[in-house]
Amino acid sequence: MHIVDGALSNQVVIAGAVLAAGGIAAGLRKLPMEKIPVTGVLSATFFVASLIHVPIGPSSIHLILNGLAGVILGWAAFPALFVGLLLQAVFFGFGGLTVLGINTLNIALPAVMAHYLCKQGLKSQNPMIAAIWGGIGGAAAIVGTTVMVALSLALSGDEFLPAAKLVLIAHIPVMVIEGVLTCFAVLLATKVKPELFSTLRPAQ
Amino acid sequence: MKHKFLFSVVALCLILLASHSAYAHKIIASVFISGNTIEGEIAFSNGDFAKNVVVEVFDEENNKLGETKTDEEGFFVFTPSKQITHIFKANLGAGHIANARMEASELPLAQTAAVSPAAATPASAQKVAPIPAQQLEDTRSMLRKIIKQEITPLRKELMAYKEKNNIQTILGGIGYIMGLFGLFFYLAARRKLKQS
Repeated sequence: MHIVDGALSNQVVIAGAVLAAGGIAAGLRKLPMEKIPVTGVLSATFFVASLIHVPIGPSSIHLILNGLAGVILGWAAFPALFVGLLLQAVFFGFGGLTVLGINTLNIALPAVMAHYLCKQGLKSQNPMIAAIWGGIGGAAAIVGTTVMVALSLALSGDEFLPAAKLVLIAHIPVMVIEGVLTCFAVLLATKVKPELFSTLRPAQ
Repeated sequence: MKHKFLFSVVALCLILLASHSAYAHKIIASVFISGNTIEGEIAFSNGDFAKNVVVEVFDEENNKLGETKTDEEGFFVFTPSKQITHIFKANLGAGHIANARMEASELPLAQTAAVSPAAATPASAQKVAPIPAQQLEDTRSMLRKIIKQEITPLRKELMAYKEKNNIQTILGGIGYIMGLFGLFFYLAARRKLKQS
């Protein structure tokens, strides 16, 4: 999921950085004061999630949890995930500093899309329906990210379809796990803190 | 309440973390000298080997010196012909690139040159009958083999150690995040105060 330094062409890296900067600016502008703690905590969650290791057969994968950040934060997912990615690159050596922009874009843009996809569903009075929409958002964000990663590789010269297939197949388990995880997180949140999805909307 | 819930998510993550070994999908590439050749290995940090991958060798000016291929255990061998810095690159697909560097000063050509006179001095000083070159070479390669066997587990352990993310690093990272968002808070509060 984290693309490393040197894997992409310069154009893709620069375009990614510019778009990510735009996303972060949009996120910060739409970030009301009440939402700052949630943003920070979800940033921390994303930061540690990548260390959680799910063994699948002989190999293993790590969680991403961008969907959870997306459905709760909306555009604020951009700054949250950027901070998480920056610290992962510095502390754990995941990804790299030059590809920070494109990695942020690849992970945060699908999160924002998941937010808009599930916006109506999450407002449902029935916690079960809201939770299911949350799960859909969690899984959809991973699909989006795999497509984005494959696309960035394709724009740098790899064949799109084989790359997409490879990344997508490797992430099917993550998709399932994160769908379920986000579903339960949303279920819990609708019970203990329902205003997380309704009143904490960005100031218009 | 909100904080309680979200903090419990983080706490859960930390608990899970403690029970799993903290690997992630990262590439580890290392090169080392073995006799007159450069050996290296490429692996994913979760323990998978990079099998049958083409490894390209470059010098510092990005001129290609040659290429080699990893075996089933992610192992590759390259025989250097020039006393220059070698850079090894391999594309493992899906955005994974392995990168390793061998400095010119570490190259075997320099080392053998340095070792030979030193090895010859004590022999002549003690006036022992000169050892035939062939025998000397045999002993040397035998020693190399033994040393390699001895340090292989050490190297593996060192690699595992390097890839380990300890709890201090993780807590440090979370601390940075808290601090950063505290700063956001400060800025947001100042903006609000100015407005009112």
